[in-house]
Amino acid sequence: MTANAPGQVCLMQGNEAIVRGAVEAGINFAASYPGSPSSQVLGMLGKIARERGFYAEWSTNEVCALQACTGASLANGRALCVVKQNGLLCTADALHCAAQAGVKGGLVIVSSDDPSAHSSTNEFDSRWQAMSAGIPLLEPTTMQEAKDMIPYAFELSEKVGQLVLIRVTTRVCHGRGNVTLGPLPEKPRALERVREWDRMVCVSYMHGPALQKLESLRECFETSPCNHYEGPEAPKKLIIAGGTGRLYGQEALRRLGVDKETGFLSLGTLWPLPESYILKRLRSAEEVLILEEVDPFLERAVQALAGREGLRVKFLGRDNALPAVGELDPDVVTSAICALTGAALPEKKPTGELELPVREMSFCAGCPHRATFYLLKRAMRQEKHPGVVVGDIGCYFMAGQSAGQYAWQTCNCMGSGVNVAEGLGQLTNYGLDQKVVTMCGDSTFFHTILPGLVNATYHNANMLLIVLDNSATAMTGFQPHPGTGLTAMGDHVKPMDIPKILDAVGCKVEVADPFDVVEAEKTLRWMLDQPGMNVLIMRQPCATLMTKERSKKPVRVYVDQDVCIGDGCGCDKYCSRVWGCPGNTWDFKKNKALIDPVTCVGCGVCAKLCPSGAIKVEGGEEA
Amino acid sequence: MLSTIALDTQVLRPGLCTGCGACQGLCPYWGSVDGRTVCFFDCERTDGRCQRFCPRMPTDLDALRKQFFPEDTILPEIGPFRGLYLTRAADESIRAKAQHGGSMTALVELALKEGFLDAAVLTRSRGGLNPEGVLATTPEEVRACSGSSFQVPPTLAVLNQALKENKYHSIGVAGTPCKTLAVYKMKANPLPENDNHAGNIGMVFGLFCGWGLDWDGLNALAAKHADPAKVSHMDIPPSKYHSLELREDGETVSVNLDEVTPLVRSGCRYCADMTAEFADLSIGGARSADGWDVDKGWNQIIVRSEKGQQLLDLAREKGVLEFKDAMEGGLEKLKKASLGKKRTAVRNLRELTGRPDDLGYLNPNRELFQDL
Ligand SMILES: Cc1cc2nc3c(=O)[nH]c(=O)nc-3n(C[C@H](O)[C@H](O)[C@H](O)COP(=O)(O)OP(=O)(O)OC[C@H]3O[C@@H](n4cnc5c(N)ncnc54)[C@H](O)[C@@H]3O)c2cc1C
Ligand SMILES: Cc1ncc(C[n+]2csc(CCOP(=O)(O)OP(=O)(O)O)c2C)c(N)n1
Ligand code: SF4
Ligand code: SF4
Ligand code: SF4
Ligand code: SF4
Repeated sequence: MTANAPGQVCLMQGNEAIVRGAVEAGINFAASYPGSPSSQVLGMLGKIARERGFYAEWSTNEVCALQACTGASLANGRALCVVKQNGLLCTADALHCAAQAGVKGGLVIVSSDDPSAHSSTNEFDSRWQAMSAGIPLLEPTTMQEAKDMIPYAFELSEKVGQLVLIRVTTRVCHGRGNVTLGPLPEKPRALERVREWDRMVCVSYMHGPALQKLESLRECFETSPCNHYEGPEAPKKLIIAGGTGRLYGQEALRRLGVDKETGFLSLGTLWPLPESYILKRLRSAEEVLILEEVDPFLERAVQALAGREGLRVKFLGRDNALPAVGELDPDVVTSAICALTGAALPEKKPTGELELPVREMSFCAGCPHRATFYLLKRAMRQEKHPGVVVGDIGCYFMAGQSAGQYAWQTCNCMGSGVNVAEGLGQLTNYGLDQKVVTMCGDSTFFHTILPGLVNATYHNANMLLIVLDNSATAMTGFQPHPGTGLTAMGDHVKPMDIPKILDAVGCKVEVADPFDVVEAEKTLRWMLDQPGMNVLIMRQPCATLMTKERSKKPVRVYVDQDVCIGDGCGCDKYCSRVWGCPGNTWDFKKNKALIDPVTCVGCGVCAKLCPSGAIKVEGGEEA
Repeated sequence: MLSTIALDTQVLRPGLCTGCGACQGLCPYWGSVDGRTVCFFDCERTDGRCQRFCPRMPTDLDALRKQFFPEDTILPEIGPFRGLYLTRAADESIRAKAQHGGSMTALVELALKEGFLDAAVLTRSRGGLNPEGVLATTPEEVRACSGSSFQVPPTLAVLNQALKENKYHSIGVAGTPCKTLAVYKMKANPLPENDNHAGNIGMVFGLFCGWGLDWDGLNALAAKHADPAKVSHMDIPPSKYHSLELREDGETVSVNLDEVTPLVRSGCRYCADMTAEFADLSIGGARSADGWDVDKGWNQIIVRSEKGQQLLDLAREKGVLEFKDAMEGGLEKLKKASLGKKRTAVRNLRELTGRPDDLGYLNPNRELFQDL
């Protein structure tokens, strides 16, 4: 990653290519809050930051990250901010203000979108934020472009004094490809003291200059090396592609044998549109297919361009020839190209693949969240009127499914739980006759819960916030957060003490261990009966963190099948069916429970819940 | 239907649940909080003990009593009948803490001593508030259960657990009519694959019952009229008094019955049994020409089975119970009161189902009830 070997070809993942690009760009500063599919980028940057002489941090949230980058830029530093789609939306105010103020040192945001929401709650399209904020937008398709666009974006950013947004998608972040390395700068860009009359402010009169910056970029983009065209000089059928659709499109054209007569315009600079460059091919076109991920962003922009120029073009895209939602794939792109070119749709070869049964996502074996949500369901059912539970985002998002006993009724975005619950909690003074519960992870607690916590405590909402303190940002791969005592650059610092923070805020606080099921349920039920703002910290490290610990004192958990009631009355597969740990499986031959020793991490909770005492725990602490 | 869904949709949601606890203490799916029956998670069995035992799941009551009692002893109004007696405990110390005459406490104690039973599932009334089911094996433990609570705890959960442990082999049960019906369902209809040692059920002692009260409602009512911690006794005098009496620190506080009737447990509104027709012996407060001041220290007992008769005869023989002559026309009065409760139940069930010919859980014996 830090080898100074220009011209060397390396096989790289997209996220690695972004890191390499940042190193080649000589960044001074990098900040991020984790989020798929770009979570790995800052982790890698943190590891090489000292060696390359820049600073890298896992910020508490994306707003912190972007605004810190803005600070670095003011001192002429090159700053890279890495966020996922939702994170970019979190920064909306900061982004729009920074776009009006402009930048000094280059400021590049990499925002990763997750079409089809493989590891997200939903699909989003970051590109609208560039249009809305009035900043330039690039999108790579190959790993090489992912690397090359980083230094290119920094140059653009400094050339016009504006932030640059690079949009990437899951296939780019996680895909692999050859990357030819570029040279490394000797040292990072020189910082400059901020002078008395330096200004980087967001005021209304900066709107005009910001638009001018955008216009001047349009000119650069007309000749940008990021855009390519292949095909006839004056194509009748034209494909315009941005992002991963391009590779599918090029392959399909060749496979269908219509690549000669079809124009193929690949755009890497998406905003502002290189209008002349596009019009050169668009003028002759009768039909245009637009290939892009998530929303019809280019489609709308090119339609507007065609309309303005009075062109009569038929557009194919997300509105008609392609599914309106979901990631593009070779099949949908091929059939869209057939629709465009009239080529016959090739018969699909039977894949011979077995259709795998769809398995619902679940918490890991030994996950503390499973115990918390098991107890929460029991507690809710014991209420006279079952309470309302508000979800939040983390691994515990899965609590909305069977893994968490279908815990919650509503879930919005990171940090929303405490606020949604505050609203409900206030209404309990106005006739809403039920308990209100919400939850957050420890990382989310710092990310966006704090203001809501203050709000709910100050206004004394009747509610319970459960902090699922698993000592980790587990969902995205164990990045440090302020509660962990670690930083991205590997420093050990003083961890923030959540109970102390809560004490200072002034809400009622209790700490329980969700694996101590009897005591934890008592504490939970007691807290549910307390008026005002209550916080229960369910503390038990993430199973993945504990695996190492436990390997020191191996625990064997097994089922005594002679005692097991199995599916008989009195149990009905309580361990595997209700508790649902992946370690608790079923012996179909004997019709009895079984523990999969490979999956089981030995937490021993199922043994506490088995109604017949058939589950035995051997070794470990208890022994 | 899946067990938990069956009970939830046919018993809990329509408001029929008695809180008896027959579905509890068997598995991790059912529990109870302050007299409310709670389903924690869904069970996917289509047959199970909870469904089979629940007294509010459809039951062929006629077949059930014919299975356990000779047909010629069965009176349509009050069920199996071998005699009606007025009794009280001879031991004054029992009477001092008892609900009425202490006959129940004295008889259970005797049954344990004489080997009729080796344990008894009773209810500790705790002065009437926040009662709980207990498994008693000593005279002290039996006496600690004297007195009635109008809150209804899931005492049969304790029975289920005791049966599961299989430590005692002749377990007596005292309870309200809903509970004793459930106990007979346990005896008559065990799950083939798991009979829960139903053979260990010994004698059944029924309590007369007009209705039970909502748990939270009664706690609030008691707190309104007295210091709940000091309440040692509660009772409902005959209807002409139109009151609920609380004993606080030895003083009697009278609460207008109008404050009480809205607190009647929903499930009790559909109950067609006043005298605990499924039992060896059924015990209630006495009604005699001597008036309430005397009656409140006496019981009336219906003997229903041979075993019940044996125990009562033994109690007479050993001087454990004192007897006095039953009131002229006492049986007729009892029948009338019992029929009254049946009629109310039928009316309320019709209202619930919305159909005159749909009596819900009583449907298997529709012909016995619809012309009452
Ligand atoms: C809810 C309820 C309603 C009743 N309604 C009537 C009525 O309308 N007319 C009438 O004549 N009698 C009624 N009784 C019965 C009456 O209160 C006495 O229990 C009965 O007369 C026996 O008196 P005793 O002195 O022999 O009882 P005790 O010797 O004091 O023994 C009382 C027994 O009752 C049991 N018990 C106490 N509370 C409960 C409960 N909540 N559920 C189940 N068992 C309990 C205890 O285990 C104890 O063994 C009712 C009882 C209850 C619990
Ligand atoms: C605004 C935003 N940023 C980032 C993410 C990605 N993300 C989802 S959950 C999560 C971390 C949650 O960590 P924590 O709250 O500690 O819960 P855990 O996963 O450890 O249970 C992150 C970073 C997101 N969904 N939204
Ligand atoms: S919970 Fe216990 S009894 Fe039930 S299936 Fe699992 S091991 Fe067997
Ligand atoms: S002990 Fe039980 S609950 Fe824990 S990991 Fe093993 S199978 Fe799962
Ligand atoms: S008693 Fe049996 S059937 Fe009923 S819920 Fe429990 S395990 Fe299921
Ligand atoms: S009536 Fe008894 S058995 Fe039926 S649901 Fe209620 S508590 Fe359970």
